[in-house]
Amino acid sequence: MSKDHKPELRRSVTPWGSFSWGYSDVGADIFVGLGLVLGAAAGASNVAFLFAGVVYICIGLAYTELAATYPVAGGGQYFVLRGLGDIFGFIAGWAVLLDFTIDIALFAWSCVEYLTELIPSIAVGVHPWAHFGVVVLLVIGLCVLNIIGVRESTALNGFVSALDIVSESAILTLGFLFAFDPHLLVHTMLTSWPSPFEFMKGISLAIVSFVGLESISQAAEETQRPASIIPRTSVALILTILIFALSYSNLALGMQTWHPIPLDAQGHHQLLWQWLGNPDNNGKAVALIAQQVPYWGAIAALYVPVLGAILLLISANSGVFGSSRIAYAMASGGLLPSIFQRVHPKFRTPTVSLLVFTGLALVEVVFAALPSLDPGAASFYAQHFNGEAGIDFLGDLYAFGAATSYSFVFVALVALRLFDPLSPRKFKIPLNIPVTVRGERAEFPVIAVLGFIGIVAILVFTMITHPIGRVAGPLWIVFGIGLYFVYRKRKGLPILRSHKRDWRSEQVEILRRAGELELMDEYVANLKASDERRAAVKA
Amino acid sequence: MRTSLAAGTTHMTIEGALIALLIALAIFATLWWMLHPPASFVQRLAKEAESELERMVGSIVVVFSPEILSTHMMALAAKLARGERSELLAVYVVEVPYTLPPDAEMPLEEREALDALGAAETIATNNGVSLRTETIKARSTKQAVLDLAKREKANLIILGSFREGKYTGAPLGRTIEEIAADAKCDVLIGVEGKHGTLLYEEPTP
Repeated sequence: MSKDHKPELRRSVTPWGSFSWGYSDVGADIFVGLGLVLGAAAGASNVAFLFAGVVYICIGLAYTELAATYPVAGGGQYFVLRGLGDIFGFIAGWAVLLDFTIDIALFAWSCVEYLTELIPSIAVGVHPWAHFGVVVLLVIGLCVLNIIGVRESTALNGFVSALDIVSESAILTLGFLFAFDPHLLVHTMLTSWPSPFEFMKGISLAIVSFVGLESISQAAEETQRPASIIPRTSVALILTILIFALSYSNLALGMQTWHPIPLDAQGHHQLLWQWLGNPDNNGKAVALIAQQVPYWGAIAALYVPVLGAILLLISANSGVFGSSRIAYAMASGGLLPSIFQRVHPKFRTPTVSLLVFTGLALVEVVFAALPSLDPGAASFYAQHFNGEAGIDFLGDLYAFGAATSYSFVFVALVALRLFDPLSPRKFKIPLNIPVTVRGERAEFPVIAVLGFIGIVAILVFTMITHPIGRVAGPLWIVFGIGLYFVYRKRKGLPILRSHKRDWRSEQVEILRRAGELELMDEYVANLKASDERRAAVKA
Repeated sequence: MRTSLAAGTTHMTIEGALIALLIALAIFATLWWMLHPPASFVQRLAKEAESELERMVGSIVVVFSPEILSTHMMALAAKLARGERSELLAVYVVEVPYTLPPDAEMPLEEREALDALGAAETIATNNGVSLRTETIKARSTKQAVLDLAKREKANLIILGSFREGKYTGAPLGRTIEEIAADAKCDVLIGVEGKHGTLLYEEPTP
């Protein structure tokens, strides 16, 4: 290898690897989201999941089309950069970076919470320093795993995802087979329908159960034949998660329990969904449903806490992976310093990005742990953060970051459809209106507009219902924009305008590197035909 | 309305069973569809080449002679034979001049044959493949190799040469070029450039 050879991310992610990167991120969400939605939307939880699921399908389809058309690391951030320009690309990427670093901290923390079922001595209430130490070790361990190479961490994701899909399928099929009562479902929906406000709150929580699909597009640059594989893995992921979310919510509302449900705090009888949705249980709703499945429940009680811990761990792992890849892509686009683009010469992974953003996640872990470690900090949090612990503060920001970046992605999809119609799209969202833009035939995506309306509504609702997120989320964006201005000024790059790029050559190079040679030929032919048409018009 | 099951009982309904079946089928079908994407043009090319390889290396003959130096190719042949489970034959051809009877004693050449085939057997043993060896005396190396290939129904003849750094009109050696031209099967010729030194970067003055 010559000395000036620039290492590229290696293409080692298989179809299953690509799917499991997305699944490891989204799959863990239902473990947390189910109980929260049942608590808010009560008898309409299944409808809330359906409603959020429709928005999720729009998001998923948008990401699928874009990742298959532009298979590069960075996902949503790159699409927004390309469609809307540098500053919006930066904001979208910065919002997702917030999400992924929180993802690392939040899920590593929750993983240890699950482990306390097996090792009570590491519980926060017993030994807060031990709990803190284990979380930190987990985050550092995931960082090392990702530095060693994507193949190793993809193998971990793949194995755990397979185990979880089999387990969840078993819980659901056996639950419906042995304990589902359709009359009870109808009865619960009719008698426990929530108020419109609770219903909307349920929808906003339900969308959190679907966050993470973009992991697939962030791994696009390392996926084999991305333009062909990503549409399949994305659609499969959308369907799998939707099937699980709708099945769990319907089962929770219509299941006859194997064991009697404990009385509530006031000594009243409660239904399964009420028990799952109360604050003591809403963080482990899936595990509790599993225990109520006839026959299987006895086994599930033994392994579901472990499965939950593993799933949360791989979700944290996908946060490590995703944040480093976004930073890599932002550095490639001149939005972050080029040091984030540096790839390890042996392992060919973006080492600097991995170290910096897992470092940031560790800072967030410290922030989350402070109240439990120091009584002085606990009183400070009580005074300034409405009594919420640090981990709740981060959770609030999670939905904000995702909804912000998704909103930009929908706009970017429309812009790219209109202004880059020549790029071959192996997967295209259905329902389009033919239009002509700058002499080229393009298609206006109606579903992107519907999705945009849906996600903006959820963003607004998130900001209304989460007072901390309302302040801290925009503050994170403003802080990032400040850094961006300083960096661009120092580098002599345009601050508000975009840096000039040759998107045509870049697209040819992207498709060549992706191994999508047939699409590359098609793109070159499209360009040639377009140039000839323009020349003919001028003549 | 009853909301819990009596101890040790279940509540099976047609609706529940259908939904359970639907969930299992939907998950299985979705994952199966995802894991079976259509092959690209490049993948189809690669698959054809791989299936061609299986046909190509069913039976391999590695040829040695005073002017065919195949020791470095023997190692490659052994690895190929191991991977593809091919039949492997190493043959040393001693060319007998017309001035001598066809079965004339040629102790020097025969000694060289023992060395070459001994090295070939060692390589084969080290790679865990079985090897048959044979020494043939013939008037023409080319004809002997072609006859042998026909007799053995060989799929591949492997020949080794080296580049001497001068152009002679037949840079690989006349015999090698004639075999390559007339053989009815595939021929693999390994040319060792200056005994491998061309791989090193020469210092620029």
